[in-house]
Amino acid sequence: MSRYFSGLRDGIGFDIILVGAALLFLLALAGAPLVYNVLMSFQQVDMFTLGSLFRPAVGFDNYVAVVQQPEFWLVTRNTLIFVFGSMTGQFVLGFALALFFAQNFPGASTIRGLFLVSWVMPGLVVGGIWSLILAGDYGVLNVILRSFGIIGSNVFWKSDPNFSIWAVIIANIWLGLAFNMLLLSVGLAAIPRDLYEAAELDGANAFQRFWTITLPMMRSTIGAVLSLGLIGTLQQFDLFPALTEGGPANTSNVAGYWSWQLSFQLYDFAKGATVSVMMFLLVLFASVIYVRSTRHEVRG
Amino acid sequence: MQFTKPGLLAGLAFGALVAATPAYAQVTLKVWSIDGVDRTGIADTFSKEFDEANDDIVVEYRAIPFDEIVNETLRAFATGNAPDIVSFDNPDFALFSSRGAMLDITDRVANSPIISKAEYFEGPLNSVTWEGKLYGLPKYTDTIGLFYNKDLFAKAGITEPPSTWAELAEDAAKLTDPANNVYGVTFSARAGEEGTFQFLPIIQMSGGGANKVNTEGAAQVLDIWKGLIDNGYASRDVLSLGQWDSTGVFNSGNAAMAISGPWEIDRMVEDAKFDWGVALLPTINEDDQKSSALGGFNWGIMANTQHPDEAFRLLEYFVEQEDRIFPEFGNLPARGDIELPVTGEAKKDAALVVFQDQLQYAQPRGPHPEWQKISKAIYDAEQQALTGQMPAMDALNQAQATIDTIFKQ
Repeated sequence: MSRYFSGLRDGIGFDIILVGAALLFLLALAGAPLVYNVLMSFQQVDMFTLGSLFRPAVGFDNYVAVVQQPEFWLVTRNTLIFVFGSMTGQFVLGFALALFFAQNFPGASTIRGLFLVSWVMPGLVVGGIWSLILAGDYGVLNVILRSFGIIGSNVFWKSDPNFSIWAVIIANIWLGLAFNMLLLSVGLAAIPRDLYEAAELDGANAFQRFWTITLPMMRSTIGAVLSLGLIGTLQQFDLFPALTEGGPANTSNVAGYWSWQLSFQLYDFAKGATVSVMMFLLVLFASVIYVRSTRHEVRG
Repeated sequence: MQFTKPGLLAGLAFGALVAATPAYAQVTLKVWSIDGVDRTGIADTFSKEFDEANDDIVVEYRAIPFDEIVNETLRAFATGNAPDIVSFDNPDFALFSSRGAMLDITDRVANSPIISKAEYFEGPLNSVTWEGKLYGLPKYTDTIGLFYNKDLFAKAGITEPPSTWAELAEDAAKLTDPANNVYGVTFSARAGEEGTFQFLPIIQMSGGGANKVNTEGAAQVLDIWKGLIDNGYASRDVLSLGQWDSTGVFNSGNAAMAISGPWEIDRMVEDAKFDWGVALLPTINEDDQKSSALGGFNWGIMANTQHPDEAFRLLEYFVEQEDRIFPEFGNLPARGDIELPVTGEAKKDAALVVFQDQLQYAQPRGPHPEWQKISKAIYDAEQQALTGQMPAMDALNQAQATIDTIFKQ
């Protein structure tokens, strides 16, 4: 008996308890809803069966119906543009800012801290503010662009099908910039200074130092930032209702918002679940690539 | 410690009082509505009054935001916790009534000394009717018309508001004044229910309806509207502005005409620094069938209520108070037998006369259990045509294909 308890305190039993608690938590709060969601995507769901678990099974009917929606390919295209546009913008600008604030100049760390403001702001507020900035007739952005002579007439960011998805991307880049910058700053700070000093003594110029020291040393950080960026971008929701509501005519609709629209505006819960399962597969695919690409990494 | 004993006694006495109260059994009614979320309205005020006036009934009122009330009720109904009385926007009502989630009150209304079915306007009444049975009552109603800036009209030398869409486009061209930031007209073609709300009347004028949207007339008007946007007579942002924001542009004098409803009047009286009037919604040809959108909410008793008699009594109380809803809350009753009191504000009174006239032509959206899907097909088509992604007729044909699959089920 006492051996049993001591095993619980500091033997393999203790490890199992720790892992078990975490696993139980994960299964209850992430696993179960996920399985329920997948289950729902193969069922016929209406208001009377909303509360029950076992509903008439319809096989792949929901998947076929979703793909046959006229907006399916448009939404797919928009999702890809939104993900790549947002991630590229957030990452490139975030990296540039991180490098800039890694230089030693007075106030560098204070100003870097101030960037957190955008990360603290709720998405709906950010969306509301950008909605004013991007307004066609009286928006600030148009006034600035016009006064610099970049545009001749007003750009209707939210209402022009050529720009609507980019309006959301611009707001999303601003929203995610600080998070990217901070994570990358931490990665930069972890690179030992003496590496740069040695390289400088050997006559490497700034570009060579960046290319041969900074980037390789940052590899795992960059991987983490990009995969978090992908997840964050795919689950971005608040900006859509605040800016374009997916319009005009779905030209700024993406999978996440579409899934919500299907479930909670059109009350087609099965199709909503189907779209989110498709998104889940996309994220799964990306995570597998991420895990494989960093598998042989020596971390530390 | 000295207080313990009296305190205990008081507690006992209170307990005895509580235990003695339900000598006649109390009934609890749950009422859900959007009133009271941002300002007091019909449902919260009248529920409280009824609760206070009746000792045998307790009314538990819950205010739920507009965007959540349908979802919340769906969930509650699925898990058996539904309210007794609920109030939905009229196009959402059929989702519930068609599935037997609302109580059939046809006979109760027929036998009621207070409610007279014949007095209700046809449009609102249709939205609570499913397969010939009555599942609810209209709570209030509204519709849309054309607001116009009389000062700008006089300046442009136009004497009468337009009565057809082609005339509206001509007038808009004359009224547009880019130098002073004035658009000819503003409306809402937003990606949402508001877009359908303003465009469906056009389909109905052209002889179509929710089940037949690809009419020549609808395509013709879409082309006129597209022309308004492309020529700069209307802002391209009509595609993302809601009605409230769109009419704000009119109020500030930056648009000479606006399409919206009576809910704008009070703000317009405050904000608009010019003379304005209201005209009926233009038609496609001069002598066409008039039509307009039907807004407003409905009441319904949910089918799984434990207390249908008491719930109906509450419903009768709501109906009894309907002569108060305009003076107190600014809502238009959905009945012809209530005279609206004169407010003394000349522009407001004139506008109300037009809107009451317009209400006769208001047609409901649906009723159909999958209204939201039909609505999305309609506003998507409208936006595709207005942005030039598709010719108007092709966009309407595509919407028709989607709608056909919904009606076939």
